[in-house]
Amino acid sequence: MATREKVGVSTEVRPKLREETPSPKERGKRRSGQFLADRAATVVIWAFALLALALVALVLGVILWNGLSTALTPSFVFGKPQAMREGGGIWPMVVSSFYLAALTLLLVIPLGVGAAIYMSEFAGEGRVARLVRFGADSLSAVPSVVFGIFGMVVFVIYLGLGYSLLAGALTLTLLNLPTVMRSAEEAVKSVPKSYREAALAMGCTRWETVKKVVLPVAMPGITTGAILSAGRIVGESAAVIYTVGLFVRKVPWSPFQPAAPMAANIWHMYTEGALVPDWFRVASGEAAFLLIVVLVLNLLARLAASVVRRKTGYRT
Amino acid sequence: MTSISREWLVRKTLMVTAMVVVVGLALVVFFMVKESLPAFRKAGPANLFSATWNPREGRYGMLVFLVGTLTTTAGGLLLGTPLALSLALFLTQVAPRRSRGLFSRAVEVLAGVPSIVLGWLGFTMLVPWIRSVTGSSGSGILAASIILAVMVVPTITAISRDALEAVPSSYAQASLALGATRWQTIFRVILPAARHGILAAVILGMGRAVGETMAVAMVIGPASVFPTSLTSPTHTLTTKILMEMGESTGVQRSSLFAMGLVLLFLAMALVVLVRRVSKARRYEGWVE
Repeated sequence: MATREKVGVSTEVRPKLREETPSPKERGKRRSGQFLADRAATVVIWAFALLALALVALVLGVILWNGLSTALTPSFVFGKPQAMREGGGIWPMVVSSFYLAALTLLLVIPLGVGAAIYMSEFAGEGRVARLVRFGADSLSAVPSVVFGIFGMVVFVIYLGLGYSLLAGALTLTLLNLPTVMRSAEEAVKSVPKSYREAALAMGCTRWETVKKVVLPVAMPGITTGAILSAGRIVGESAAVIYTVGLFVRKVPWSPFQPAAPMAANIWHMYTEGALVPDWFRVASGEAAFLLIVVLVLNLLARLAASVVRRKTGYRT
Repeated sequence: MTSISREWLVRKTLMVTAMVVVVGLALVVFFMVKESLPAFRKAGPANLFSATWNPREGRYGMLVFLVGTLTTTAGGLLLGTPLALSLALFLTQVAPRRSRGLFSRAVEVLAGVPSIVLGWLGFTMLVPWIRSVTGSSGSGILAASIILAVMVVPTITAISRDALEAVPSSYAQASLALGATRWQTIFRVILPAARHGILAAVILGMGRAVGETMAVAMVIGPASVFPTSLTSPTHTLTTKILMEMGESTGVQRSSLFAMGLVLLFLAMALVVLVRRVSKARRYEGWVE
């Protein structure tokens, strides 16, 4: 009985005691009413679910319908951008997006995985662990535009990096750290305890256990998390606009150069579009291309896990 | 000896990587406060929280934008929550096994769509559509709410789905065995049992809506006055920061940072709220 009280819902479930039993006819009426309500609810839930499905199809459909033919033209993807003429391409923006994602991942993966290992293998439930947990929760809730103006003040101005890929990568590292950390922690925690116990029993130290047993087994999950965050970085614009830049003519080669990721460039086309006669075509094509890149990355994330798993040969 | 000291070194290094989030958060808070101090000193809180934004005459009121943020968030949740909740119920209780994969894949795809792409969709399709139906400018609270609803659906669906799945199946079995219909079971047993998780999902969705910038910026305005209707242009805190940070200096720039600080506080308050809710959930006794 004690456990029943704890449940907290049982009082609402308990049927009310009736003073007099309703007649069979009355009972039948109530029962058919309940069946009708059940039917109606099922129909409504189905309708909402189908509406959501239609919404997703609409979003993908309209973006691709408007931009796919542009996005699949080689002269658009690999072409030079134009300011006053029509027919410009987006190659520098494509490079910027991937460059920024690579640079950010280079910073955020070691930090995120390190933090995840610390939290699951070493921290326990002490004060440090609680502090880190709070920091990660709060950081993941900070709006990206706040990260943007923070990065502008700290990395662009105080550290003197200027609008640059590096300033953007540092900003996005902070923005993505909580999510990378969480997915890596989940991967590390999914490694069975018996694996660790076996390694420790063989005389491995904690770190050797992590390096030789926990990390290899957790690798598929960590890879998935990393690729998913690459998708988020490529799609991010609010944190990038005031740290990396909106528009470039040439392909950036150094991390200290300004660049223009696709997501930020779409915003540029929207606000300063008058400078480019065919801005609508460029922005539509860029939006479609960006959407395809993100969808492919999400698909890759799923595939990568099974590829890595096959390579390492571990099962969890 | 060497192995012990290496263990120590590794442990400390890993701790440093874990502390990056804490230091990062502290830095974000510090710089937001530092950069917004001039605004508080020179313009004063009464000016900052007034309803007039007119930097040329020294008026830096953010009330219009705060109201914009709150109304668009409320609108987005109002439209998005029923959809997300039905979707979560569908995925956990109603859907046949075969179609479950399709629907949950679709939600994942929606979660991955970049906000700028959704904004572009809003700008190219939703705003012209609202314009043609209502005869107004088309951009405003209504368009922003619809776009935000699309954005919060994946978040709320995913988290409330987890909450619904965590309800022990014996609850549903007991209810069905007593002769309750599926809807009675959902409404009287499963939803009440998962209520804290669902609440946490809605709060996290709220956080996403409050902080959303690009998608809202393309459909909201721009105008720095209170909207007169659901389809008249206005601004939110995030979009105002985005639009003006590039070309502002002095007190105006600092007051934009003050808006960032307000956003930061809103976000932190929601985090604290979620932690409260999930703590209450743990004490309920059946989760884990």
